[in-house]
Amino acid sequence: MTIDGVSPSTVLRPESIEELAQTLASEKGAIVPLGAATQTCFGNPLRRADCAIDLTRLSRITEYNPADLTVHVEAGVPLEQLQHALLENNQFLPLDPWNGPRATVGGIAATNAQGPFRATGTIRDWIIGMKVVHVDGQISKAGGRVVKNVTGYDLQKLYTGSLGTLAVIVEVSLKLRAKFPRTATAIARPADESGAAALIASIRNSALQPISCEWTGPENEVLLRFGEHPRAVDWQLKNLPAADWRVLEDADEAAAWEKLRGRYGQLGPLVLRVIGLPATVHEIIKTYRPAAWIAHALNGIVLMQISDADEIPQIRGKYRAVIEKAPLEVRRKIGTFGLTDTEYDLMKKMKEAFDPEGRLNAGRHVDGERN
Amino acid sequence: MKKEVIKKLREILGSPAVIEDETELLVYECDALTLFKSKPDAVVFPWTTEQVAQIVRLANEHRIPFLPRGAGTGLSGGALAVEGGIIIELQRMNRVLSIDADNRFAIVQPGVVNLHISQAVAPYGLYYAPDPSSQMACSIGGNVAENSGGPHCLKYGMTTNHILAIEAVTPKGEIIRLGNAAGETVGMDLLGAIVGSEGTFVIVTEITIRLLQKPQWVKTLLAAFHSVEDCSQTVSDIIAAGIVPAALEFVDAKTIEAVEASVYKAGYPQDAAAALLIEVDGFREGLEETSNAIVEICRRNRSYDVRVAKDDEERARLWLGRKGAFGAMGRISPDMITMDAVIPRTRLPEVLAEIARMSDRYGLAVANVFHAGDGNLHPLILFDGRRQDQVEKIHRMGEEIVKLCVDVGGALSGEHGIGYEKKEFMNLVFTEPDLEMMMRVKRVFNPDGLLNPSKIFPTRRACTEIGKHTTTSTAEIGKRVDEVLRGSAR
Repeated sequence: MTIDGVSPSTVLRPESIEELAQTLASEKGAIVPLGAATQTCFGNPLRRADCAIDLTRLSRITEYNPADLTVHVEAGVPLEQLQHALLENNQFLPLDPWNGPRATVGGIAATNAQGPFRATGTIRDWIIGMKVVHVDGQISKAGGRVVKNVTGYDLQKLYTGSLGTLAVIVEVSLKLRAKFPRTATAIARPADESGAAALIASIRNSALQPISCEWTGPENEVLLRFGEHPRAVDWQLKNLPAADWRVLEDADEAAAWEKLRGRYGQLGPLVLRVIGLPATVHEIIKTYRPAAWIAHALNGIVLMQISDADEIPQIRGKYRAVIEKAPLEVRRKIGTFGLTDTEYDLMKKMKEAFDPEGRLNAGRHVDGERN
Repeated sequence: MKKEVIKKLREILGSPAVIEDETELLVYECDALTLFKSKPDAVVFPWTTEQVAQIVRLANEHRIPFLPRGAGTGLSGGALAVEGGIIIELQRMNRVLSIDADNRFAIVQPGVVNLHISQAVAPYGLYYAPDPSSQMACSIGGNVAENSGGPHCLKYGMTTNHILAIEAVTPKGEIIRLGNAAGETVGMDLLGAIVGSEGTFVIVTEITIRLLQKPQWVKTLLAAFHSVEDCSQTVSDIIAAGIVPAALEFVDAKTIEAVEASVYKAGYPQDAAAALLIEVDGFREGLEETSNAIVEICRRNRSYDVRVAKDDEERARLWLGRKGAFGAMGRISPDMITMDAVIPRTRLPEVLAEIARMSDRYGLAVANVFHAGDGNLHPLILFDGRRQDQVEKIHRMGEEIVKLCVDVGGALSGEHGIGYEKKEFMNLVFTEPDLEMMMRVKRVFNPDGLLNPSKIFPTRRACTEIGKHTTTSTAEIGKRVDEVLRGSAR
């Protein structure tokens, strides 16, 4: 196994949280926690790796309370396994990260992985508690097991998106929701970019509430997904702004979103996640002329394929932008997150407070951001 | 406090914006948790972020503790000046700075009253979702500090799900900005850690909040039951049916008695053992069916009266009763303490039955009015503050209720916070390493502990009295906590 050109000398596969804690208590080298390894190219380059911890054997759904709409899972549970279990009770976790159903719950949390389901929030909005193992082998938890809770600091939020650099996520408690009674997807292909922008503007100013609204380019396809009471879905489909819509349901609908995921897979090798506002999405695309893009149009976020890494500092002069995908040599030169001084300073102190020797995923996050 | 400090505060703010008179300070000796009192040395009323920063820097120079305060409606003693010092009262920073209806966000100052935000953005067909029962008075800054909830959090989430960005003053007096108007986390979720940190990390001076489109249609129902068990079962059945109500509120007979005797009179059925206030919202299409499904579930659980509000006026009245319930208790009891705890919603019947038994055992009446949909209990213990025997009993009974909730897998607080009230209970749910990690994060933000000291973390002392004579300096307490934590880690 090689990540960013670094190969760990040992790979451990703990069967339990306690076993992992014991391992970390005695391990003195650089540690690399891994889930399904679908996101190993995200983040600043890994600097050292003595011991990789493969968490996929922590794969138990430890407790599922359908009537409470909560589930507690070990970090190595793949998303598809979880969704499958939830489906038996007509429930689900409304997340569809690009890295797919094989991705583990712990990995999705650690990388803050996202997909087109944006109206329902990101994983931080669904996590109600977390158990982690620290670099010295201590086990701690934050949050709890109930859907509403303000007991103690929300450290689970801090661990989410920290790329395993503060602690190793080993168990995640999630709140759930009932499956949408019905979903349907409407797809249109306006003639050009202005047409797509106008269409999205009219959606934004309408009463429609799609659970996903994606604008892909350069083909200018607009995908809207609705999930509601069947009659509310029908009403929204009837009230779509004028365009040549194709409405898909069931297997066809699933295939369309799978196709979009494939489209995401093809973006690259250099992809930037540019953070604007709903009303500036078109402006971003017009200004930077990406070769290809997928925009979460109602969230103001554009995943855009750019050709030259030198554009990144210029774009960051105007917008917040995270490197979504990039070859190693680009990530060596340019920090993944483009942090402000305030963020850099606080995150660095956070890293020092949790992992003073910098042994957890060395270089991956804030510790590799500015070189 | 030294005269020199007061003089400098007056230089920063002007004379009328600084209170040091002993009598005037009485107003600030507690927040809405009136059981504990401790007088600050001064209260200041800044207008600008820069003034807040200057005050904080001055406090640092003189090593004086300080804390922010909003409307003082907090129920866990978060704005209690445990060690005296300076209360930075943010009520004058009460402007809605901008509204971006197109991108659905607004930028507001911390002293803006929660409800005023929804009123300000109403012309655009938008609103701010989290709605604590105190929303007519509580400030958005306080909501951010406490990660406040409210009835509609069941569907729309807590404050933390609606805060996009902040400007804040650090405990050292620097002005920082975090987050972005798109609400997209970059790197670690620092903003997520700050929301709900109960004013112990930073003082928030500007807030960018998410606005939502007003739902097309709303239906509000009131279902009355002759038994608490049937009422609780209905809650579980609605959730199990896959319905996501906008709100699902429980009121018991005692609450109904108080509400109906008060100005909040809502027409609640006075012969009911318990009733549910249920709201569904969203698209008009399909809402009737959802509402009918709920009526059916209520009837199946022997609800003897299900009423659907006919118009906005009736709907508003039903909510007035619920939101005024805490205040209405004054009609039936001279004092009360508002408890806040969360349990898995399936455990409602047994926990409510146990609380009823406790009420008998202690001889203290309890009214239950709470967010049933998310299992967030609010037992209101009614007592007479002039009777010392009752005051002593409420502490013990409160503790027993908290333990009961923890035992069934619940949490110490669902929306009011730990503050001063519940810090000694933290050991019930968190281990030493859990608390140590929280302390590490606190130290990153608030290394000297001057900002809002003696909150959240247990002091491990059998001391319920407070005041300057019983508490020690922040540094000493910090040291002691450190010692205990290190001792346990060994």
